[in-house]
Amino acid sequence: MNIIEAKNLTKTYRRFLKPEGLRGSIKSLWRREYIQKDAVSSLNLSVAEGELIGLIGPNGAGKTTLTKMFTGIIAPTSGELSVLGYYPNDLKNEFKQQYAVVMGQKSQLFFELTANDTLHLFKEIYGLSESTFRETKDYFTNLFQVRHLMDVQVRTLSLGERMKMELIVALLHNPRILFLDEPTIGLDAIASRQIRTFLRQVNRERGTTILLTSHYMEDIKALCPRCVVINHGKKIYDGSTETLFENYQQNKRISATFPQPPTDLSLPDGAQIIEQTPYKLVFQTPKESVASVLTDLMQHNPADISVEEEEIGALVERIYEENKTV
Amino acid sequence: MKPFIPKNPRFRKYREISAIYLKSQLAWRADAVFQMLFTVTKILFAYLLWGMVFSQRDTVSGFTLDGMLSYYIISSFLSQLELSDGVSGEVSERIRNGTFSKYMVLPVNIPGYFTAMEAGCVLFYLGFDLAAALIWIFIFRIRFVFTHSPLIILCALLMIILGLLFMVQLNYYLGLLTLKYEEIGTFLMIKSNLVALITGSIVPLALFPEAVLRGMKLLPFYYITYLPSMLLTGRCREEAVTGILILCLWCLALGGLIRITWKKYRVKYDGAGI
Repeated sequence: MNIIEAKNLTKTYRRFLKPEGLRGSIKSLWRREYIQKDAVSSLNLSVAEGELIGLIGPNGAGKTTLTKMFTGIIAPTSGELSVLGYYPNDLKNEFKQQYAVVMGQKSQLFFELTANDTLHLFKEIYGLSESTFRETKDYFTNLFQVRHLMDVQVRTLSLGERMKMELIVALLHNPRILFLDEPTIGLDAIASRQIRTFLRQVNRERGTTILLTSHYMEDIKALCPRCVVINHGKKIYDGSTETLFENYQQNKRISATFPQPPTDLSLPDGAQIIEQTPYKLVFQTPKESVASVLTDLMQHNPADISVEEEEIGALVERIYEENKTV
Repeated sequence: MKPFIPKNPRFRKYREISAIYLKSQLAWRADAVFQMLFTVTKILFAYLLWGMVFSQRDTVSGFTLDGMLSYYIISSFLSQLELSDGVSGEVSERIRNGTFSKYMVLPVNIPGYFTAMEAGCVLFYLGFDLAAALIWIFIFRIRFVFTHSPLIILCALLMIILGLLFMVQLNYYLGLLTLKYEEIGTFLMIKSNLVALITGSIVPLALFPEAVLRGMKLLPFYYITYLPSMLLTGRCREEAVTGILILCLWCLALGGLIRITWKKYRVKYDGAGI
């Protein structure tokens, strides 16, 4: 059963164009010019209940606008939209009772109070019984291992701990859909990995549909069997994440730091240096050569090595180019 | 798994919203102490000022020194409870920076959320201001002039609650106008001047012609702090019922206006910045 259905969904923003300088400011008092920008354009999308789907695209692609339309925060300019059988922008409480949204940099927590205080508020807002509240809270606090942090003032928590609390608050009422916008932004590798494990478990054990918006390819690759790529408000890819990486990812990004400047370090053909200092080297290399590059690097006794996915922009560009030639 | 959709007891969520804002206020202990000191200082100044005035005569406009101090303590106490000015700024700011979405995604009535939030803050100040006022009434041995009629006390309390509710609604409404006008500074200025004029802060009400005064009494501002203070000090009893009716009508009208405005202009909200 499809839980989200969007047909020809379009959102057009009107932007005020102010001419430069004081003269322009005065002129714009009585004569204003506007430009239209399609943030989302004729987008079709279906999401089935229980899916964990990734929404990726470069900055300004329209991912967040799409999430805002799905949650009812903004109204579409045209097209059809149904989420859980509701038109989201009607903002019906019965609809809002069934989803949760976590925006990486916007918080529902009260910073001067404890996470427990916020959880009590959400218990009442969502009308949970005491037993459901206790059971759900225990489940999530154990899963995240944050029981000892529940009575600590939120503003003293680390970014990673705060994000865990945000997720617990969002999932307290057992929503059918969880919209996540950049949940791992600013988090270190360990915290990001914990968040991913948590999301996978919530999706598997509770059947929560998760729509994840992220810049980080690691998030998408680790979590989402299906992903949708958006660029300039248009859907340019919708399918298996594995196929996306298989077909469009050509490179990996490797970062290495050394206790001593390495001598006679050679890079394979096609490698491209991004940053180089005596003690640090960041470069991009074809994914086929990663294994041999790592073997070479290990001979120089590095202090640290990390291998990351290629940035989203490069993938989008390749998909875009391919679509143009088809 | 089926979602949990309860038959929610309607007001429990708003009670909890008030409670969490009350707890937030209590987190700032220094603020609480300064608030108490501020109330004390105001009473001290009023005592010294009116003490000098009444050293030359026994009554001023029908008030004795104790009557005047009682009126002053009550009206300044009520003015300090009226904290809703911040609501318009907060709503406006959140609409402009996109964080208003935070309320839109919750299954609550948004004006109700802001009203409950204000109630939490008011409860905090109510506690501290009341304690400070009682201590100083005792120290200065002010023979507090207070009505003995339970009915008038009830009317005054109802009027205070309606007045505070009206001011939250008004400020919420003005903040909401950001959806249409982007900049609401002018509206806020008009509101402040109107409130100051009608409560007699700019020109003493006695200087206005009778017809103008009658017109002002149709507006709600007269009933926010001035009339409840007069009622509690045993004056203007005949205006009690009219005041409550007028405030009720204004609250209903503004509630309707908020609903219409929100319905009409919420499509303009673009949640910018998130």
